[in-house]
Amino acid sequence: MSTIWFLLILLCLLMYVVLDGYDLGIGIATLVEPDASHRHEMLEQVAQAWDGNETWLVLLGVSLWAGFPTAFGTILPHAYLPVIVMLFALIVRGVSVELASQAPPAPRWERAFGIASLIAALAQGVAASTLIGAIGWFSALVAVTVGCGYLALGYAYAQWKTTGELRARAAHRGRVSTVLASIAAVACLLAAPPNLHTPARLIAFAGLLLFAVAGVVMSMITSPYDGLPLAGLVTAVVALVIALVVARYPLLASPDLTIAKTAAPSGTLTFLAVGIGLNVPLILFYNWFAHHAFRGKAPANHLANGRTGATQ
Amino acid sequence: MSLLDLSRWQFVITVMFHMTFPAITVGLSILLSILYGMYWRTRKAVYLQMFRFWRRIFAVGFAIGVVAGIVITFEMGLNWGGYAAKTGPIIGPIIGMEVVTAFFVEAGFIGVLLYGDGRVRHATMFASSVMVSIGTILSSTWIIAANSWMQTPAGFVVRDGRFEPTDWLDAIVNRSFVWRWPHMVLAVLISAAFFVAGIGAYYLVKARALPFARRSVSIALGVAAMLVPVQIFVGDHTAGAVLPYQLSKLEALEGNWTNGNTGFVLFAIPDQQAQRNLAELDIPCLGSAINKDLTCKTAVPGLDLTPKADRPDMAAVFWGFRVMFLAALLMFGTAFYATILRFRRKLWTSRRFHRFLLWTTPVGVLAILGGWATAETGRQPWVVFGQLRTADAVSHLAPGELVFSVVGFSLLYLVMLIAYVAYIIRTVRIGPEHVLGLAGGRAN
Repeated sequence: MSTIWFLLILLCLLMYVVLDGYDLGIGIATLVEPDASHRHEMLEQVAQAWDGNETWLVLLGVSLWAGFPTAFGTILPHAYLPVIVMLFALIVRGVSVELASQAPPAPRWERAFGIASLIAALAQGVAASTLIGAIGWFSALVAVTVGCGYLALGYAYAQWKTTGELRARAAHRGRVSTVLASIAAVACLLAAPPNLHTPARLIAFAGLLLFAVAGVVMSMITSPYDGLPLAGLVTAVVALVIALVVARYPLLASPDLTIAKTAAPSGTLTFLAVGIGLNVPLILFYNWFAHHAFRGKAPANHLANGRTGATQ
Repeated sequence: MSLLDLSRWQFVITVMFHMTFPAITVGLSILLSILYGMYWRTRKAVYLQMFRFWRRIFAVGFAIGVVAGIVITFEMGLNWGGYAAKTGPIIGPIIGMEVVTAFFVEAGFIGVLLYGDGRVRHATMFASSVMVSIGTILSSTWIIAANSWMQTPAGFVVRDGRFEPTDWLDAIVNRSFVWRWPHMVLAVLISAAFFVAGIGAYYLVKARALPFARRSVSIALGVAAMLVPVQIFVGDHTAGAVLPYQLSKLEALEGNWTNGNTGFVLFAIPDQQAQRNLAELDIPCLGSAINKDLTCKTAVPGLDLTPKADRPDMAAVFWGFRVMFLAALLMFGTAFYATILRFRRKLWTSRRFHRFLLWTTPVGVLAILGGWATAETGRQPWVVFGQLRTADAVSHLAPGELVFSVVGFSLLYLVMLIAYVAYIIRTVRIGPEHVLGLAGGRAN
């Protein structure tokens, strides 16, 4: 039962990294976007979807709390500073994206949105590095990996959802970010090689890494399909995260917080499997709906299209 | 100040800040559903105008509420690691249900509610508004279930120092939940009503956008007139249902250090150290009368009935309760007077009343904050009443880390509060006159 619940937590992690990854990435990208109207268009893309994306982070945290209470109560105090900084950044981000979207033009809030997105991504990298007990330069390396990875996802999403100059720039910069993220990820793996003591684990890990590489390659192909880079990157991210989990299973956090040791009693896990497990298809539907309602390329003149802004 | 105090202050700051926003947005989300429904059926432009204007106020408040809520979820592990580890098997799943049945519902449909106008069909817009409203109500439901379990824990056993569920129905529908839930839902509806009435009154005072203003104020005061009396009844029963199990809370909120006072303490400056009031103002016999004894013989229980180690901090409980209680009386009086004006057909001509309404804009929110202060500080020194002390629930953090986060949250939340108030003022000044502009033509 605790293994099933662990898989649900893994699902939350993957959904979060992919979904909030792209919208944090778009936020970071606004920092280096010279054109003000493009910046606003990017921000609007995030404004429509960030809430649903970020809710996966809440479900990730709460699932860990409910299913593995001791782990939740131990990991978080250990990662106190990076998590607090991440929360600060997410607050600024949520407020600034709504203010910049509801009362444009708001260049200061747009800037705050970009900076907060960057800080949130870096802080998540540092927080993740504390799971294997490492801090210091390795944390910085993980932070850079996460930052570049999110940026690549953000550009891939922007390429998928926009047209014209913005789309072309996203395609180009997305490739550069993907290369940087890949280099950083390889550096992380070399700096802290996972302990693969059984052949089965080694094979699984290597196989998943191959998938990740294939995803990266797919994202770099020049093609008429604007969704291809995003599909490739999502494959890469999912494969990489699963590979890392496979390498460390059943350890939740170093040195000795394992699944078995920290699991909640069976009365709790049964309730979770029924109450929350049965809701998973529904929440996937809500997430799909949120994106489906605004499917396709964003209309070019965004402000005039059904928006409530003070633009009148 | 100890590290425990720092974590407690941080919790006070973050949770009070958070609560301010649902206190406005839960009710507003229901108002938005009704307004869009009215527009859909009648096609009257004024309803679309109201929908779009109130949506602008709602959107930013909702976003702040969401991100401030994420903070609280993580704080449970960050600052209250002992609490997280010990109560996780019971509180974790309840909050988990909140996430999947409320947060995801809100998040899935908020995008359409805020940005779909003119891009999706009327039915989709309306359904999305309703779904967001349902999400906000469900969210309140689960959070009250979790908090009520901490007030009147049930359906559990303690094994190896950890709370483990034995009966989920008992744990969720616990003794205080059944009254606190309607109490909370009524409270957020009423606070939104006064918020809407206050802002609407601004346009009455300025004689701007009158059809918009009158409809807004009329709906808001109508809701208040219906719900405030119900709330006073429910509030009284909430106290009646909770206090037998938490006598120390009752003792603290009444303001008596010793047993024997038959009066009602109207004003007091409690000194926790000396266990006495530095100043006190009583209404004789009213305490006895509230306990249904008009002969002035029934004493109000004093805090000396509770062992010293189990006494809550009286000042916070006493004043939290009085803020709520006085705000409730003010709201009752306002709603009552408004109803009289309405029947005498003077509601739209009484300029003095319009100006008065401006001042009542935040009164419902203040009442809710006061009520939460009573509930939470009155439970101390327990985090799970009678079972787990707050001191045993706190994480052992480095002082520097805590100072950083307390100062950070204080500054950040101050800036956010100012930004939101400034945004509301700006939005109100711009007014509802233009929201139908360009966008209106696109609504299909």
